[in-house]
Amino acid sequence: MSLLQVDKLTVHYPGQPLPALQQVSLGLSPDELLVALGPSGCGKSTLLNVLAGFIAPTHGTVQFDGKPVSGPGAERAVVFQNDGLLPWLDVAGNVAFGLKLQGVPAAQRAAIVADTLQQVGLADAGGKRVWELSGGMRQRVGIARALASQSRVLLMDEPFGALDAFTREQMQQLLLNVWQRSQRGVFLITHDIEEALFLATSLVLMSPGPGRIVQYLRPTFSQRFLAGESVRAIKSDPEFITLREELLASLTRTQHEEAA
Amino acid sequence: MSQQEHVLPVPTAPAARQRTWGIRPLAPWQWSSLSIGSLLLLWWALSASGLVPALFLPSPAAVLTKLQSLVVQGYMEATLQQHLLASLQRMLLALLAAVGIGVPLGILIGVFPLLRHWLDPIIEFYRPLPPLAYLPLIVIWFGIGEVSKVLLIFLAILAPVLIATTHGVASVHSIRQQAALSLGASRGQLLRHVILPGALPDILTGIRIGLGAGWSTLVAAELIAATRGLGFMIQSAAQFLGTDIVVLGIIAIALVAFVLELGLRRLQRVLTPWHGKAL
Ligand SMILES: Nc1ncnc2c1ncn2[C@@H]1O[C@H](COP(=O)(O)OP(=O)(O)O)[C@@H](O)[C@H]1O
Ligand SMILES: [Mg+2]
Repeated sequence: MSLLQVDKLTVHYPGQPLPALQQVSLGLSPDELLVALGPSGCGKSTLLNVLAGFIAPTHGTVQFDGKPVSGPGAERAVVFQNDGLLPWLDVAGNVAFGLKLQGVPAAQRAAIVADTLQQVGLADAGGKRVWELSGGMRQRVGIARALASQSRVLLMDEPFGALDAFTREQMQQLLLNVWQRSQRGVFLITHDIEEALFLATSLVLMSPGPGRIVQYLRPTFSQRFLAGESVRAIKSDPEFITLREELLASLTRTQHEEAA
Repeated sequence: MSQQEHVLPVPTAPAARQRTWGIRPLAPWQWSSLSIGSLLLLWWALSASGLVPALFLPSPAAVLTKLQSLVVQGYMEATLQQHLLASLQRMLLALLAAVGIGVPLGILIGVFPLLRHWLDPIIEFYRPLPPLAYLPLIVIWFGIGEVSKVLLIFLAILAPVLIATTHGVASVHSIRQQAALSLGASRGQLLRHVILPGALPDILTGIRIGLGAGWSTLVAAELIAATRGLGFMIQSAAQFLGTDIVVLGIIAIALVAFVLELGLRRLQRVLTPWHGKAL
């Protein structure tokens, strides 16, 4: 049963020749890490913004837990590429922000914040100012903030897109560990094929002009990682490489079709 | 602005390689002291040489003597301190009113852009006018009491505060607002926890600019039947060619304005330490 569900979603920005999304249907269940992969401009952010409630569908429906989504809400926390942290709060204050908005008492808040910071490897950074952090650390704070808020799904818009390759891989592993512990549905968008294959339990491949889903996959690499296999072993596995090349070919094909 | 100093990375080249052309590098405050010192020296040299008559430029020593008599005996039935206090009171009253009205109004405009189209013409109409131009109207409408004086200064401060607040609210990152909304923020919470703090650096800058505009209106305001105030003191002295008092009045205004500006910069650093940081 899907927790977050879109049916026949079409989004047409005013003044644009083509819809950004056309007839997209998709469900996210609570135990799933769903990745939308596609080149930039294929409507990934638009899809995420509809799920988050920032944009209303032109046609089609969005439902959370069986009820129509009418705007942003605490059960659907968003993690952005550029974290969107609040610089007037320290790291702990940022992580506690969602709980504070919901009126959770301070003592309880502190306990949750400490636990969440621990999970993302920032146990000692609670008192740091946001601008003292590296990009990777800031992204961890963004994830911790979404986790601490007790949301039921996490929506992540290219969360590691601005990080260097090394930090990016670290963050992918961190995300898988955190996801396994939190047992929350995660919807993540990326244009990085390796990232998509490594993280996803479900993967949709998207294509532009108009934005649509062209392929569904169910990779199992994240389970292998969580079962103890190393990242390098997984990403250099022939099976991983074959899938990666297939996806790349498929992406290139849709790009060419669009150009034609 | 001083915040920039912290934004730019500190050069890490080894000290031996830095070219100093044989001059020992000075700290910024040392440069400033040097600049003020040379100005004083020039003043002293001009008046001591007798090139400029004392009527046009009294000597520093004469001004100092006058300062003593101003502090002790006063001028126009009030000591320097009393003149200063009268002006400060007007300034602070006008500032409070301008912040109390300008900030909420600026936030409203920022949140409801339609309001802007309505208020913009009014503000842009009066903002470029020299206060002396509408001073007669204010006197006709509000009389010659304190209200008119404070109102004139208030109008000068209001425009920058209002414009800066509106700009500040409009430039709060939409990502931050979206993040807060997706964490369950209500509209009120969004305003209180995201928009207000996000606009604070701009608001404080607006207040700094506003205070500058306020000081430059002070003399005009104290043209209105004042009996006390630094602006009044300067004007009365000018009528009797009391150049020494005029000079003292100018220095007093400059000093007070400078101290207030420093205080505000300090406040800005304490309240909005993230201002100017790459985020
Ligand atoms: N606010 C908007 N107004 C008009 N067009 C938009 C807007 N946002 C996105 N688009 C267009 O919709 C398409 C999909 O954009 P987006 O969802 O951001 O794609 P992605 O995240 O995959 O790069 C692009 O062609 C983009 O130019
Ligand atoms: Mg995008």
